[in-house]
Amino acid sequence: MLSNKSRMSSEKMSSKKTAITTALGLLAAMFSLQLSAHTMTVVPSHYVQSKTGGWVSVDVSATNMTFQWDKGIPLDNFKVFTPDGQQGKVGSVYQGKRKSQADVELATEGTYRLELVNGSRFFTSYELKGERKRLMANKKDRATQLPAGAEKVMTTQGNSRSMAFITVNKPSDAVLALTNKGLEFQFDRHPADIVATEEVTVTLLMNGKPAAGVELDLSRDGELYRNEPARVHHKTDASGKFSFTAPVAGRYLLEASYQADVNNELTDKVREGFTLSFEAAMP
Amino acid sequence: MKLHSIALAATLALGSLLVTVQAADSLNITLELPKPAHGPYHRPYVAVWIEDAKEQPVKLIELWREKPDWIKDLRRFWRKTGRSDQALVDARTGATKGPGKYQLNWNGDDNAGKAVAAGQYLLVVEAAREHGGRNLVKQAFNWDGSAVEIQVKAGSEIGAITLSKGAK
Repeated sequence: MLSNKSRMSSEKMSSKKTAITTALGLLAAMFSLQLSAHTMTVVPSHYVQSKTGGWVSVDVSATNMTFQWDKGIPLDNFKVFTPDGQQGKVGSVYQGKRKSQADVELATEGTYRLELVNGSRFFTSYELKGERKRLMANKKDRATQLPAGAEKVMTTQGNSRSMAFITVNKPSDAVLALTNKGLEFQFDRHPADIVATEEVTVTLLMNGKPAAGVELDLSRDGELYRNEPARVHHKTDASGKFSFTAPVAGRYLLEASYQADVNNELTDKVREGFTLSFEAAMP
Repeated sequence: MKLHSIALAATLALGSLLVTVQAADSLNITLELPKPAHGPYHRPYVAVWIEDAKEQPVKLIELWREKPDWIKDLRRFWRKTGRSDQALVDARTGATKGPGKYQLNWNGDDNAGKAVAAGQYLLVVEAAREHGGRNLVKQAFNWDGSAVEIQVKAGSEIGAITLSKGAK
């Protein structure tokens, strides 16, 4: 495209320039679409262990198909929470091309939470002469960065986490405790008690309050080997609840996203999301 | 999962002893562990227990296992009982057993030693074998003084099972 540009005559220049800008805009849009289409996934080698003092290897990847690793990502924000609810130590980490890996020691009995935090990020979108653009700035900072004539200005704060729970011997609840901040979930049973063919009800909460209209997708292992991916879409009801039944035993991924107008001094909207990998046990 | 031939011989001897002391008011369970035709053989981990009509565990009858690492592979047993009652697991643990027929019985007591109420119960047998498969058998029966005579077909890891009990 750029080599074409150099061969262009001057009168064609202006129309071609518009085409290039549009193409670049499209590319940017595609790129952001691709970012959001990738799903951050945290998957331990084992969800259930019957011995303390062992280890699990945890795979972390940005994926398109569930559990098909596409891109390894830095693990600086990968955390483990031990059964006492405290943050524990992560063992060796490695960032590969297709996936990253972390070793986690399971020294004590109970339930562990693995969590990759994609920290709070602000971006401001706007239109300039009919073109959509965006910059990484919150509502306070955007004024100095927005070009003159920017229209339809909107700042969104994005938060997302990717999680998994591992249970050694008796399940415990400390790592399931709600913080009443952001988008959280509450199962009607311990995650270690999710069993194929049994209905499970989940309550989604935003800042501690049941959140209606949360969009969820439930997918399961093996999409590469099925004609139908068999993803199931859910939406929370007025009481913030939705129910699902895992049809077969295996590994599942729950993806949740929620948007709300908050209009505070830093942002106009929040977009909260999480992914949770878990296993549905054999009945 | 090493083979302890002495333990095996002792178990077989005990097994035949049990046959002779079957109580008339107990549920007699015959359990067969098959000999797989192919592949390396490790003795299976096996759990035998009773659940009530709501599928809640009532009584652990047998648990044959070695290392704790692999008890989790008895998926249902681990979830229902094993993970939360270490004392019971330790109390009921026996050595793993090779192919053969085993006589077990249940006298109608729960894990605390109290007689259970009359009703429908489930005999649950779960077996998992290294480099082998996992089988789960759930067989309902009535525990109300009536006679029980049930045959359960063999699977790959759990052979034929019979449940029998005379009427009171």
